[in-house]
Amino acid sequence: MTISAIGSGDGKELTIKVSGRFDFSAHQEFRQVYEGASPDIESYVVDMAEATYLDSSALGMLLLLRDHAGGDSANIKISNCNSDVKKILTISNFGQLFAID
Amino acid sequence: MSKSLKILIADDNDSDRLILTAIVKKEGHESVTAANGQEAVDMYKEHKPDIVLLDALMPVMDGFNAARLIKEASGEDLVPIIFLTSLQDAASLAKCLDSGGDDFLSKPYNRIILKAKINAFSRMRTMHSAIQEHNKQLLLEQQVAKTIFDNVAHLGCLDAGNLKYSLSPLAVFNGDTVLAERKPDGGMYVFLGDFTGHGLPAAVGSLPLAEIFYGMTGKGFNIEEILREINQKLRKILPTGVFCCGSMIDMDFYEKSAKVWVGGLPNCFLYHSGNKEITELISKNLPLGVLDSKSFKPVFEEYSLDIGDRFFLWSDGIIESRNVEGEMFGEDRLRDVFYKCQEPEELFQQTLSAVDEFIGVEGVRDDDITVLEAKMVEHAELGESNLQNMKGTSVGPMDWELEFVLKAATLKLYNPLPLVLHIVTEVEGLRSVSGQLYTLLAELFSNALEHGVLNLSSELKKSTAGFAEYYQARTKALEQLSEGEVKVTLRHKPLNLGGLLTIRMEDTGNGFDHESIINRSRTNKEYSGRGLPLISKICDSFAYKGKGNIVEATIQWPVVKKI
Amino acid sequence: MVDVNDHLNTEALDELKEVMEDDFSLLIDTFVTDSETRLQTLSDLVMGTDADAIRREAHSLKGSSSNIGATKMTDLCKSLEDQGKDGVLDGVQGLKDAIAQEYQLVKGLLEQHYS
Repeated sequence: MTISAIGSGDGKELTIKVSGRFDFSAHQEFRQVYEGASPDIESYVVDMAEATYLDSSALGMLLLLRDHAGGDSANIKISNCNSDVKKILTISNFGQLFAID
Repeated sequence: MSKSLKILIADDNDSDRLILTAIVKKEGHESVTAANGQEAVDMYKEHKPDIVLLDALMPVMDGFNAARLIKEASGEDLVPIIFLTSLQDAASLAKCLDSGGDDFLSKPYNRIILKAKINAFSRMRTMHSAIQEHNKQLLLEQQVAKTIFDNVAHLGCLDAGNLKYSLSPLAVFNGDTVLAERKPDGGMYVFLGDFTGHGLPAAVGSLPLAEIFYGMTGKGFNIEEILREINQKLRKILPTGVFCCGSMIDMDFYEKSAKVWVGGLPNCFLYHSGNKEITELISKNLPLGVLDSKSFKPVFEEYSLDIGDRFFLWSDGIIESRNVEGEMFGEDRLRDVFYKCQEPEELFQQTLSAVDEFIGVEGVRDDDITVLEAKMVEHAELGESNLQNMKGTSVGPMDWELEFVLKAATLKLYNPLPLVLHIVTEVEGLRSVSGQLYTLLAELFSNALEHGVLNLSSELKKSTAGFAEYYQARTKALEQLSEGEVKVTLRHKPLNLGGLLTIRMEDTGNGFDHESIINRSRTNKEYSGRGLPLISKICDSFAYKGKGNIVEATIQWPVVKKI
Repeated sequence: MVDVNDHLNTEALDELKEVMEDDFSLLIDTFVTDSETRLQTLSDLVMGTDADAIRREAHSLKGSSSNIGATKMTDLCKSLEDQGKDGVLDGVQGLKDAIAQEYQLVKGLLEQHYS
């Protein structure tokens, strides 16, 4: 499991890339990535292209990111989910809180 | 100066023993000696030394075997073993550690190094015993906490004849929760929850959950009100990122129907005993504790059921159980169990067995495996609700009257039944029949609201399709409601022995031709839509008045009549 | 004239004497008794063909001689132990004699300087 982050050219969007199993072991790293990002960030993309699995603590981390990004006014997109990952997000109805594609 | 230790010195060479004993003594420690491995093991058992210095090559029994036996005999205590050796090759040194040694000391002995090693292991021992002490304390505390926990999250009605459940805790506590309780109206709520994480942090949330579940069920609150309260409470007390996936079912054994809420659990099943097919219960809600009250809008599914139909609720533990190859049990295997099953009564056990068989002895249970089966049965099979949480004063008010008028805006979003039941059961003699009373109040009130104020026809409820349609129509009509009211009048009079309660409900609807219908048959289908047989069984008398928009029922206590 | 330092690690021996206090003479006595027993055993063994028995006996003698800082005797014992380990019986008798001779010398030095 690795977490990496890239800012967009204009510095307003942060893309957080998750590889491998997204579970409790990623907690610290995931948090550091968005907490250490520039205050100018307005929107977030969590790129799941290389994530193989996510568990309920990963869902918890997404909620923490959402809080950090302004709660109800947060602008977060979860992208490139494989079918397993998408299924877990669907079961949890996270589509109500995040833009998922 | 470190504290004095007891050190066992085992060496077959007299001069080695002499030197080591002298060094150990010089450092202020006590020594016991042995001249071979067997003696060392015996001395260990007799003297329980803190540290063992063990020569590798000795007659009778060598140091390697002695080390193994000493480690075996020491159990959970940490007994550092330092091998004394002039062996130099890597393989021999590795063998010392493999057989249970913690370190080695090369000959000739260096006093300073030996002293440093003894001190290092002494520190390790102190730490180890502190950890052991903490661990013992922790287990003790967990036991106490578990007792409290079990008192709050008691079994409710989990022992009811129509329920089966399995909870396999990974620790003293469990991230999963199973709750069930009879409703005052004779129905039943079941709840299965799975908190994020395991153990104590996960179990903490289930305490308020259970408290709210049992408390509000006993007081007659409806499923949405209970879920709303649980969500709000969890949202308030749990840190962001910790929440509860779950499912709650409201079972009605009179109507043979159920209302289901699923939030964040994998698809649970409704098994139809008639055609042996499965309806999958799909999660349409976020887990509990995520949304604030304002945004919490629970979505329910209504099902009309037959006797023998059963719900299967589970956490993700089953699906995510893995075998030794790391493969997950998965939904397809779960469906297979259901498709292949010929005897519905065995489904529950077969599901658990299938998972066990799949995991094998070496597989991994990543999560708690929790399953709950809730079956639709005849009400008579379950008997009356026996609620223990009805508390009150010893005698209560005997001679009183109360009028409660609910206007349109209130009818839209307020359920008056818990409050009304609460007032009525202030009369001590009525408390034992609170279950019947709730049923009576609920039937009369929903008739007045739905057929009176909302003007819905009970015709719809007769077919399965119509059943869902009826509830859609009800929701829509409530949303659009702008005028109309229900007046609830309660009157209690004392009698020589016991008392008489009169319940009167008057609605602003059009009423119905009660006289001609009552003059026809009591078993008339049109009439049964208003729950009449049920009502007449509960109360001593009841009658429609006016144009059919007023109903009056009486119930006398002590009650001799039973459903 | 024999140089003590060619045969004994006097620094280690001085330290040992300090640690052992009154038991130091007991240590020397033990070394003497132990060495003589083991040398007698070795004398018999080197006549035979049990290389492993030679290895074990030489190993023990190496241990006790190193303890009292008899450096040259320790080296000789190690050579004999190695030969036993390799199963080479040629010359073991000569090595044993060298050890016995070195032991006598050490014993004399110990009596002279440490009693």
